Order: sequence, then C-alpha cells, then structure tokens
Amino acid sequence: MNDMTTTQIIVQLITGMLGSLGFSLLFGLRKRYLVSAAFGGFLNWGLYLLGMHWWGSIFFAGLLASAASALYSEVMARVQKAPSTLFFITSVIPLIPGSTLYYACSNAVVSNWEQAKYFANRTLQYSLAIAAGACIIWAITFTIENVKRHKKSK
Amino acid sequence: MTLTKGDEYKLLHLLLDMGEMMYCSGGEVRRVENTISLMGKAYGAVETSVMVITASIIVTMKFADGNLVTETRRIASAGGNRLWRLERLNALSRKCCEEPLEIEQLEVEIKNCKEPMNLFKFCFGSSLAAGAFAVFFGGNIYDGIFAALVALLICFFQRKLSKIFPNNIIFNLVCSFVVGVLISLSAKFIPFINADMIMVGVIMLLIPGIAFTNSVRDVLVGDTISGIMRLIESLLWAAGLAIGFMLAIFLVGGIAI
Repeated sequence: MNDMTTTQIIVQLITGMLGSLGFSLLFGLRKRYLVSAAFGGFLNWGLYLLGMHWWGSIFFAGLLASAASALYSEVMARVQKAPSTLFFITSVIPLIPGSTLYYACSNAVVSNWEQAKYFANRTLQYSLAIAAGACIIWAITFTIENVKRHKKSK
Repeated sequence: MTLTKGDEYKLLHLLLDMGEMMYCSGGEVRRVENTISLMGKAYGAVETSVMVITASIIVTMKFADGNLVTETRRIASAGGNRLWRLERLNALSRKCCEEPLEIEQLEVEIKNCKEPMNLFKFCFGSSLAAGAFAVFFGGNIYDGIFAALVALLICFFQRKLSKIFPNNIIFNLVCSFVVGVLISLSAKFIPFINADMIMVGVIMLLIPGIAFTNSVRDVLVGDTISGIMRLIESLLWAAGLAIGFMLAIFLVGGIAI
C-alpha cells in the first residue's frame, strides 16, 4: 500500500469521490447535499492514505479517516440542517471493506487459507476502524448535546 | 393546541407512521424516539414514552386532559436506504415542532414524504458507484464499465425480486450468486476484463453499510437491544453475500485470483 504511485493515488481519490457521489444518488439525496457528500468521500480516502503514509497501519489510518468523516458529517448536518447520517454514510463509503471481503472469500474457496486469513483480518480491521473512529466523535457530540440540554432545562 | 379525543388517536397513528418510515429509511433508534417525543410534546402531550426496537415501535402518550393513548406497530423490514425520506421527515418534524400543523395537514405532509424512489437516480447512482469502485480497487476502465452494467442488473433484482425472498439474507445470497456466475463466465470469454475487480465493485452495492453503522451507533447511545439485533442482522446479510460469491466462484471454478 505504501508504494503507490502518484497516478494511483489520484485515480483512487477521484474514483472514491465518484463512488460517494454514486451512493448519494442511489440513496436519493437532494441536489444541494451531493457536493458535500462527494467531498466527504474525497476527504475520507485522502485522510486514510495520509494515515497509511504516516503509520502504515490499516486500523489507525481507518480510525483517523472514519473519525474525520464523523466530525465532517456532524458539522455538515448543522450547517445544512439535515440528519448527520446522510453525510456520514456517504462519506465513509470508500472505507467499507468490499475488496478485502471478496478476497477473503475467493481465497477460502480455493483453500488458500493463509491468504484467506490475511484478508479476513484486514476486513475486520477496516470494520473495527470505521466503528471505533465514528464512536469517538459521536461520544463527544452526544456529550456536548447533553450538556447543552442540561443547561437549557436549568 | 388542544385536541379532541378522536384527534389524539389519529395523531398517535400518524406519529407511528412517521416513526416507522424513518426507521425503515435508515434512521437510528435514537433519532426515531427523539422525533416522536418532540412531536408529541409539540402537539400538547404531557408525557410521551416511546420504545423502538428492531421489530416494533410502542408509543404511549398522556395528554393534558388525562387521556392516555397507546399504539403498537410491528415493523416487518428495517434497514432500508431511502435516505431522502429520512431527510424530508426530519425537515417536517422540525417544522412541526416550531408550529404544529393541523392533523389533516400533517397526514398529507407525511404522505408526501413517502415519495417513491427516483428510478433514474437509483440506477445511475448504482452504476456510478459500482463502476467507480471497480476502478478504485485497481481495475481498468473496462472493468469499470462492465461493473456499471452489472449494477443495472442488481438494481433490477433489488426492485423486482427483493420482495419474493423470505428475507434479506437469502436475497443477498441469491443475488450475489447470480451476479457472481455472470461475471465469472463473462470474464472467461472477454479477455480484457478482470472478474475479481468487477465483483469487488459490485459487492460495494450489496454490503449492508447503513445497517452496520447504524447498529454501532445504536449500541453506543444505549439502545443496546436494537443495536445488537441490527448488528447481527447486518453480519448475516454480509455472510449471505460472501457465501453467494463463494458458491459462484466455486461453481465456475478456476478464474484467476
């Protein structure tokens, strides 16, 4: 992953963005949210690549990207007055481990267990990273919301 | 706003419609519960207690005149991805909390939110997503185009066939099996496409991403039962997907990995 060429990086950033855009269309988002959703995908994958460059660990890079997406979605939700789910799901799409899941399966079919284990492990790392990264941000935003509500009710 | 007894029942029913639609369009438990309580409050309920778990919604409201009303709603299938409905319902509830609409008006507005899927957007979005991800994971431009075409087939399955299967696990299994066989066979005859890249692109469309993220979110905010139910559900869907593709690869056999 670390020996990616610049072209590969650019292709991935663009297709990641198009992928997010595709999903936002598929989920029926309105026109005015499409740009923010596509940018979310770009941001997400860009940060993942940066994380991989710095730490070389899928889990930590994924954690960074997922946390950034969650933060981005919370901000966009407040700016554009729409549910944050809209932005989180669309921008975290490039991280979803479709390819590793596929390779884990296809290797398992031909009894190539070493490779199957390797890819299954990576799939798990991606999923955990998505969950953990988002959880960190949500824990913080939910706490802030509760503090605000508490102040109001006083 | 004061309501007659008949109106109170009607309101409750409408709120459940709203909650059900939100939950089935990709909303989290917390969002549904919050929306129903806030709406209840806006319409003058003194107490509103809502419980949403994956299979049902129960709401009890107490009004200022002492009337208690309860209704239960069974939810047949959660885990949709019709986010546009969620967005519109969210906007509607914001509007109602500021200035409650008349009950009849509310009914019309909720019906309006039930706007059907925009077929063009759905198919175009699926194709774009599958094509983009086939290239994203390292495929060439032909893989992207082929994946985009296969995505149209998946759109057809999702729209026409998802209802005839008993549940989403079987649907994912059958869908991925058919698509997997199709892709592997085509790759044998068309030399310049890579079966694995296309499958990877197509898998992205079938992976239960929303259900998974929502379930994690539900667990985190304390809706443990619903969260775990959905989490297991989404893992099973992913398993169905994986098994379908495995069977397809096994059957066609010997494609390059």
